[in-house]
Amino acid sequence: MAEDVKQPAEARATGLIRNPQDFWGGLVLVVFALFSLWAGSDLPGSHGFAFGPGTAPRLFAWLLVGVSAFIVLNGFISEGPPLERWGIRAPFLFIASVVFFGATVRPLGLVIASFMTLMIAAAASKEIRWIEAVIWSALLTAASVALFIYGLSLPLQLWPR
Amino acid sequence: MMDLIHNLAFGVGVALTMQNLMLCLIGALVGTLIGVLPGLGPVATIAMLLPITYGLPPVGALIMLAGIYYGAMYGGSTTAILVNIPGESASVVTTLDGHQMALQGRAGPALAIAAIGSFFAGCVATVVIAAAAAPLTSVALLFGPAEYFSLMVLGLILAVVLAKGSVLKAVAMILVGLVLSMVGSDLETGAGRMNFNIPELADGINFVVIAMGVFGFSEVLRNLETTHSRDVVQAKVTGLMPTREDLKAAAPAIGRGILLGSILGILPGGGSIIAAFASYSLEKKLSKNPRRFGRGAIEGVAGPETANNAASQTSFIPLLTLGIPPNPVMALMVGAMTIHGIVPGPQVMTKQPELFWGMIASMWFGNLMLLVINLPLVGLWVRLLRVPYRLLYPLILIVCCIGVYSVNNSPADVYMTAAFAVVGYWLVKHDFEPAPMLLGFVLGPLMEENLRRAMLIARGDWSVFLTRPISGGLLILSAILLVIALLPMIRSKRDEVFVE
Repeated sequence: MAEDVKQPAEARATGLIRNPQDFWGGLVLVVFALFSLWAGSDLPGSHGFAFGPGTAPRLFAWLLVGVSAFIVLNGFISEGPPLERWGIRAPFLFIASVVFFGATVRPLGLVIASFMTLMIAAAASKEIRWIEAVIWSALLTAASVALFIYGLSLPLQLWPR
Repeated sequence: MMDLIHNLAFGVGVALTMQNLMLCLIGALVGTLIGVLPGLGPVATIAMLLPITYGLPPVGALIMLAGIYYGAMYGGSTTAILVNIPGESASVVTTLDGHQMALQGRAGPALAIAAIGSFFAGCVATVVIAAAAAPLTSVALLFGPAEYFSLMVLGLILAVVLAKGSVLKAVAMILVGLVLSMVGSDLETGAGRMNFNIPELADGINFVVIAMGVFGFSEVLRNLETTHSRDVVQAKVTGLMPTREDLKAAAPAIGRGILLGSILGILPGGGSIIAAFASYSLEKKLSKNPRRFGRGAIEGVAGPETANNAASQTSFIPLLTLGIPPNPVMALMVGAMTIHGIVPGPQVMTKQPELFWGMIASMWFGNLMLLVINLPLVGLWVRLLRVPYRLLYPLILIVCCIGVYSVNNSPADVYMTAAFAVVGYWLVKHDFEPAPMLLGFVLGPLMEENLRRAMLIARGDWSVFLTRPISGGLLILSAILLVIALLPMIRSKRDEVFVE
């Protein structure tokens, strides 16, 4: 699914689209369905009455195209609330922290990766208190090492190799 | 009948081992905890804990996860009554009268009646599961691929009809889930599908990745946008015991709640939320004095709390007997079972009786534990409510990150979870309900397999789904339900139920 952000101002400017949530939501799903049709276009379809690998994916994707098209249509004929604004700081920092964890857990080991991840994530909240965040991150790191390494004995690297 | 007792006794034996009792207790505790805390539901929690259950034996893992689910139903009522926020979405209705009771200084009886009702519901539902399982399993054995396919269609349609919000959008979400489930290798030919030759996608998208991204992380993203202010009722909770009049008023409501909840739980697509709403409407209709509702009527607490607990337990029935998850939590249970190499369905009861009966028996012990956990310790749980969200979400983050990574020791899974978090956030911003997507994702491979087999047996004749009586009946029922749900008149009625 595409993660594109729409401009709320644009949706309100055109008076034609009365339910922007449905219009844009449906449109993105249509694009997603077409994209998956394209992604699966190399798969062989039905052979006689035996399904091929491509039959079911195409069936589901075409149904999705149809249903989503109706949702887009609904964007013209029904009244709906305007698009909600996207937060910037919180989603960005939170997602960044997850990606950071994925990138560092192997090279840096669980302890450093967890602590840094938690610090990045802590910055996502508007109510952050830095000293508290450092202490809490350290505590959570210790707790997760205790739980995952010693408690559940997962084979994770603790320190940088 | 003798069989039933014999089987339950066998299950009690399994559930009573030290390890399983501990896991049941942990599940009940964690469930209560997340039920109490708003912004953390059972779906997200079970998704978070799925990887942790790897190391456990399958019986223990399922006992714990089940405990989380029905434990959350107990805990949710505490927050609803004391803070007027549903700690768990099924306790939305409890806020109406429960919080009013708390404001009138009757928080104690409200909490007590919720817990007692839930306990009775749990006990009865356990027996219902045990009794319904065997007959339903034998029905399941009559099912061929065509019937299974049609049953899954019915389940998905029911999930759409009973959910709130746009029917069309929910159908679209199911289809998105189905399409996503097709990524990976084709089961029959082994051909790679829509995987762009990325090795991490060769086995398909991991279920845990979607569940954690869309339910765990995107929920955090949404909660971070709103500033949290919680005013806990500061008045001491004194006098837990309900009066004689309270009990007299609540007892019939509890009885009806059990009945309603058990039935709605079994229906695919049903579940605790709809059961709670239905019970509230029913109690209001039956009441001699409906104006008391919303002003602290004890029936308005007893009925829904009982119903949601009964439904949360009986929703295990379709999963355990037919192998079809009726709601997202059960979809996660399918995930948990597949992790342990168990294929949910009628064969579980015969091939793994210790799993089946052990889990059912554990539910009774779990309910007993929950009664103890909830009533005397209510002060402790209330104190937990003062934990600010800025301390809570890093905990969710790190458990999810380590959990997702440890499934395959794969950083790619972590990145994908981040991507699905954004997807989930986008879905909510466009008023799409993510739960049907998860159901579609879990049922996708099963639906394809049965569709394929049915078509092969029927030699490509699509009419087989209509000419076989059971299959045709199920499909016609689905069609009727879908049409009814799309009719504007019924729709406004349906929205009313959720608004109330």
